[in-house]
Amino acid sequence: MVAKIAEQPFTVANIPLDSWSFAIRVWLAMILALFVSFWLQLEAPATAAVSVGIIAEPTRGQALDKAGFRLLGTVVGVTASIAITGLFSQTRDLILAAFAVWIGICVFAANVLDGYRAYAAVLSGYTVGLIAIQQIDNPQHVFESGVARGAAIVVGILSMAVVSTLMSAPDRQPRLMVQLAAIRRRVREYACATSHEASGNSTTFVTLLREIVALRPEISSVALESSSGSVRSVAARSAVVGLVAELQAARISQRRDVEIEASAWAARELLRRDEEVRQDLLALRSARWPLRAWRAPLNRSYKNAAESGVRAVIWFAIAATFYTWAGWSAASASLFLVALITGLGATTPNPRGFTVGTLVGAPIAIALTGILEFIILNGADAFPVLAIAMAPFMIGAAVLMKSQSPLWSSLGRVNLMFIPVILAPSNPQTYNPQSFLFTSFFLVAAAALLLASQTLIPPVSNDKRRMRLLADARKELQEPATHQNGEAPEEAMFRDASRIGQFLAAGGAQDSRALAEMLACFDQAAMLRLCDAKLMQLAEGPLAPLADEARAAIVKRDAVALRSIALRLRQPSPPKDSIEADVAACLVLTSDILDRGGGVDSPREAS
Amino acid sequence: MARAFSELIVGGVLFAPFVTYLLTALVVIIVLRPLLHVVGFAKMFSHTAIAELSLYVAILGLLILLF
Repeated sequence: MVAKIAEQPFTVANIPLDSWSFAIRVWLAMILALFVSFWLQLEAPATAAVSVGIIAEPTRGQALDKAGFRLLGTVVGVTASIAITGLFSQTRDLILAAFAVWIGICVFAANVLDGYRAYAAVLSGYTVGLIAIQQIDNPQHVFESGVARGAAIVVGILSMAVVSTLMSAPDRQPRLMVQLAAIRRRVREYACATSHEASGNSTTFVTLLREIVALRPEISSVALESSSGSVRSVAARSAVVGLVAELQAARISQRRDVEIEASAWAARELLRRDEEVRQDLLALRSARWPLRAWRAPLNRSYKNAAESGVRAVIWFAIAATFYTWAGWSAASASLFLVALITGLGATTPNPRGFTVGTLVGAPIAIALTGILEFIILNGADAFPVLAIAMAPFMIGAAVLMKSQSPLWSSLGRVNLMFIPVILAPSNPQTYNPQSFLFTSFFLVAAAALLLASQTLIPPVSNDKRRMRLLADARKELQEPATHQNGEAPEEAMFRDASRIGQFLAAGGAQDSRALAEMLACFDQAAMLRLCDAKLMQLAEGPLAPLADEARAAIVKRDAVALRSIALRLRQPSPPKDSIEADVAACLVLTSDILDRGGGVDSPREAS
Repeated sequence: MARAFSELIVGGVLFAPFVTYLLTALVVIIVLRPLLHVVGFAKMFSHTAIAELSLYVAILGLLILLF
């Protein structure tokens, strides 16, 4: 009974209470930001409101994290604006070309980063559009405009921080703990299931792997939540890396047809990993340092990122050429929107889908803003009236954003961002229908033009992305197992897991052949690294020559030699859980995986 | 008696004295964080976030009062 009540959150009008409280927080923070900006007589009060709309994240840590990166991205963007304006003053075409290249660089950076770091990268890209391009005819105002924007963003961030603190916005950390514990339970269930059923269930494995890797960007948000946050964040990161290692150990232990010693070692290894994760989770719960702090490196696919960057440059160049040729004096505003949509699209797996979403969402935001500005407010100049009139729109959009359905959620986010952009609250409000029409027209025109360029030159296809990721995995496997910049085997395993996550994000679940090869590469690489790490333990003792021999066999991927070395290690019949027995079991499992996985020299049918 | 607050000047741009205090208080909080963790500050309060905000405001007030 109690469990049933706990499962069903309290709802008002069929919407959970925490969605309502989130929406009301966003609205309050936006009103506070506008009030402070009006009171301080900032030049760009609308930017403060838009900032609140953008950093509206359900938990306090995420909002603060995104806010920090928004500030950082703005600083980089303003610096780049000043540099670009200074270098190419009085030369319009060169400024546009430099801006296109800068957008390309930022899209590249966004593709090799994840989470809010990627957002900061694209933000520093389109900030240049807002500052240098909008002031293209009066470059002496670039610095002022940058400072005005920075001040407004700071006001927006502080309003959000104060409102979410005073209204007790939920923390990310308790939920993260529940998620990690649930994943650990499922990994154990997976291990039990695989030891009963002979056929390995790789769908479960892939699902778990994807869920674990998806937590990575959110872990750093925990650091900002309290004074113990950074310790908790380190513990959570170690737990996540440990979970991948445990999952891999579970996968290894499912091999039924290996010799009994090796299988016993695999089971012991699984238990050890499970215990490590348990310790990390305990450390997370009680805010202690974990036993060892692992980093969680991200796989960076530079080729994919570079190609995305080049395509973004071309899209922007097409749009800029069109606007220059059309010769509208106000087109710079629209060009900024092209940069904005290009940039934000680069942080999603499907850039063209994002443009389509904007093209659909923008008219809705325009209609709603029209109703708000010319029917509800219609000339009102009192601040309380503005605050009350904005409430249904902002609260509605924020509630939509928290919806489970991705369509409604993205529609809510677009409205939360574009309603303040189009309304552009200022003191006094001008209620100029012409500027409203121009802004609306340019917004739709920017989305339509970008969609046209993206149809002409499509974004990097999922097939190509997957092929590159697979090629990266193969290439890394061919290289001898080396400790890259002091990476532990577990950390390298996490990096490989993040590659599988990227592979799945590029529609890898449908491509079962390539997925199987990806998993084979993951298994082999993980086992080879573990083996190498185990052999390091023998490097000091009397068995050092044998360890060297084993390492050479690993480099040659010689399964037969590995087996014979394992036999020789077991010659003096060492005690059951000595290092020698462990290494021998590890070598046997590695040779087994090398045999069955077909290794890197298997026929490459998947490509 | 009115106190004279000195303005912060970065590359010819004047910042309000309050901005200096805001930033200094932020730096103090960041430096204090490991200490707060050791003391177990986060576990002392039911609403840690409000407690930390209050600590920030207290430090800000002290800075304005003393310097």
